[in-house]
Amino acid sequence: MTITLEVNDIRKKFGGLQVLKGVSFRIEGPELVGLIGPNGAGKTTLTNVLDGAIKPDSGIIRLNGQRIDPLAPYEVARAGLGRTFQVTRAFRRMSVLENLYVPALAMGHARSERDCRDQAMEILEFLTIDHLRNEYGRALSGGQQKLLELGRLLMLDPDVYILDEPFAGVHPTLMATIYKWIQRVNGQGKAIILISHQMESIFTLCSRLLVLNYGDLIADGVPSVVKTDPAVIEAYLGHEEDMSGTGMVNLKEENHA
Amino acid sequence: MIRALPNTLGALGVAFLLAFPLLYAAGNYDYVMHLWITAFFYAILASSWALLAGYGGQFSFGRMAFMALGAYSAGLLDNYVVLSSAPTGTCAEFGLFGGWLVFINPTGVSTSAVNCLQAARAAWPEGVSTSRLPLIVSILIGAGVGGGFGWLIGTLVLRLRAAYLALFTVGFSEILRAVISAEVWITRGQAGLPMSPIFPDGITLFGTYFASNAKLPVYYVMLGLFLLTLLVLILLARSRIGLFLRALREDEDAAEALGVDTVKYKRTVFVVTAMIAATAGAVQGHYVGIITPNTLILLQMALVIAMAVIGGLENIVAAAVGAIIISFGLEFLRNDFVILGQSVDMSTWRLVFFGLLLMLTLRFLRNGVIHGGLLWLERRAVGAETVAKRRAGAEGSQ
Repeated sequence: MTITLEVNDIRKKFGGLQVLKGVSFRIEGPELVGLIGPNGAGKTTLTNVLDGAIKPDSGIIRLNGQRIDPLAPYEVARAGLGRTFQVTRAFRRMSVLENLYVPALAMGHARSERDCRDQAMEILEFLTIDHLRNEYGRALSGGQQKLLELGRLLMLDPDVYILDEPFAGVHPTLMATIYKWIQRVNGQGKAIILISHQMESIFTLCSRLLVLNYGDLIADGVPSVVKTDPAVIEAYLGHEEDMSGTGMVNLKEENHA
Repeated sequence: MIRALPNTLGALGVAFLLAFPLLYAAGNYDYVMHLWITAFFYAILASSWALLAGYGGQFSFGRMAFMALGAYSAGLLDNYVVLSSAPTGTCAEFGLFGGWLVFINPTGVSTSAVNCLQAARAAWPEGVSTSRLPLIVSILIGAGVGGGFGWLIGTLVLRLRAAYLALFTVGFSEILRAVISAEVWITRGQAGLPMSPIFPDGITLFGTYFASNAKLPVYYVMLGLFLLTLLVLILLARSRIGLFLRALREDEDAAEALGVDTVKYKRTVFVVTAMIAATAGAVQGHYVGIITPNTLILLQMALVIAMAVIGGLENIVAAAVGAIIISFGLEFLRNDFVILGQSVDMSTWRLVFFGLLLMLTLRFLRNGVIHGGLLWLERRAVGAETVAKRRAGAEGSQ
């Protein structure tokens, strides 16, 4: 079965602020899609709408043909969509292993902790944090907690992974592990939506880019084309923001050249 | 060896509690047995609160309300429902298994009013017998009522967190107390609702007859309920439900995003712990012989919370042991002390010491005295293990 995620005309308003203004896109198969946009573009709101934490005002979301927009987050997870959070949300007073057991048992992949221990250990070894398996989540560094969240997602084993800022504040060594993780998941035929402000990573990893700006999806295409889209450049550089390190500064120079 | 310590201590503790009434022979036997029965009662409430608040993070202040719901349900059935071999003709009644289930009209605290059963008795021929509902039935109905309200409150507070949840449940508890105090015609208000003893006709155990007011049979009833409660709570805590409860305590949104039906598990823990509290209340009510709205005052709830906090909120057994120790401690502190030649009236000062202990625990031992100690040992061992693995990994890669 080919994985499909169809997002159709999603709108969401908070008070007087229209945060999503009819966002539509479709993901099919093991795509690695980057979702970018300036702060306040609506990326996290879109993620929350996709995972069921926020209900859209209108629009339809289908995952593998099943409508998921009216579902609760745990039902969306069971339907096959998993996500990480922008600010890491490890279960702080539970051991690293217990953090991994939660999704496996909740999904019914395993009947007891013993059943999924080997799988959890294999994942922790892959993520290079197996020596911390009995430590509490709060004992881990910020970067290690990001890895723990990725480990939990592997135990959840969804069809579509949404990674919200997985590289934020992460040491280069751990970043390499996250790269490996993304390639592993994508290699298993899963779809990934990667949200990041680290343009270098986005351009290295993704085969397709979605660009959000003030709730509008202003671009959808291969990175080399999106890079040169005037609307995208305007969205990023139309503000007095320090864009150094995003890779987009060069775009402007290239554009002017 | 350290890991086996809690199990060994637990087994020794249970053996001690089982043997204690048979071995203890001092003159104050009934008094000491009464202290144990009361301690078990509080231990049941504190340990069930530990699952709700310590594991589930649901800081509900409704423990005594659920307890009272169980006690009053059993008490109302005890006072106003009887099984009769003949119809009264005046009471509300219907046939049941060849007899009659009779609902007596409440007459409040009046001593002169005659209820429908008393009126019918005057006209009955000889040989008509009446009996109260079997105790187990009224206790089970009490537990059911507690569980039903647990479901209701659990549903109403689904979206409330922390202080809001606490305030909501305090409100529920106070409303219940006000209603019970006000509806004197049926609850007898502050006069209290009398309840029959657990063994109204006494009981013969191993050839020895124990009168209805004997402490030993009640001790074993309450001990049995206490151990059963611990068993249920520990099994729940160690199951996937316990894991999910801790996950939703830590981060509800993250747990939900990982496939945990948080609504279902929150409701479950409310219902189970409410049923436990209601059962304990019904049994304790029958033991004490009367139930009054004063059992619902906030101070009583604070006492249960303090017991669980001092023992260790996130460990069911620690909370129970904390409750037993505090129960005895408060009783022990009733004796006057001589400090620096000054006689101190401990009947008033004991609560000051208790309050100080609570404050010191909260400040210096957030995980409680007992659980905090166990946790310190466990975390120390884990820390050493982590360092050893990291060193081994570093050497291996060299």
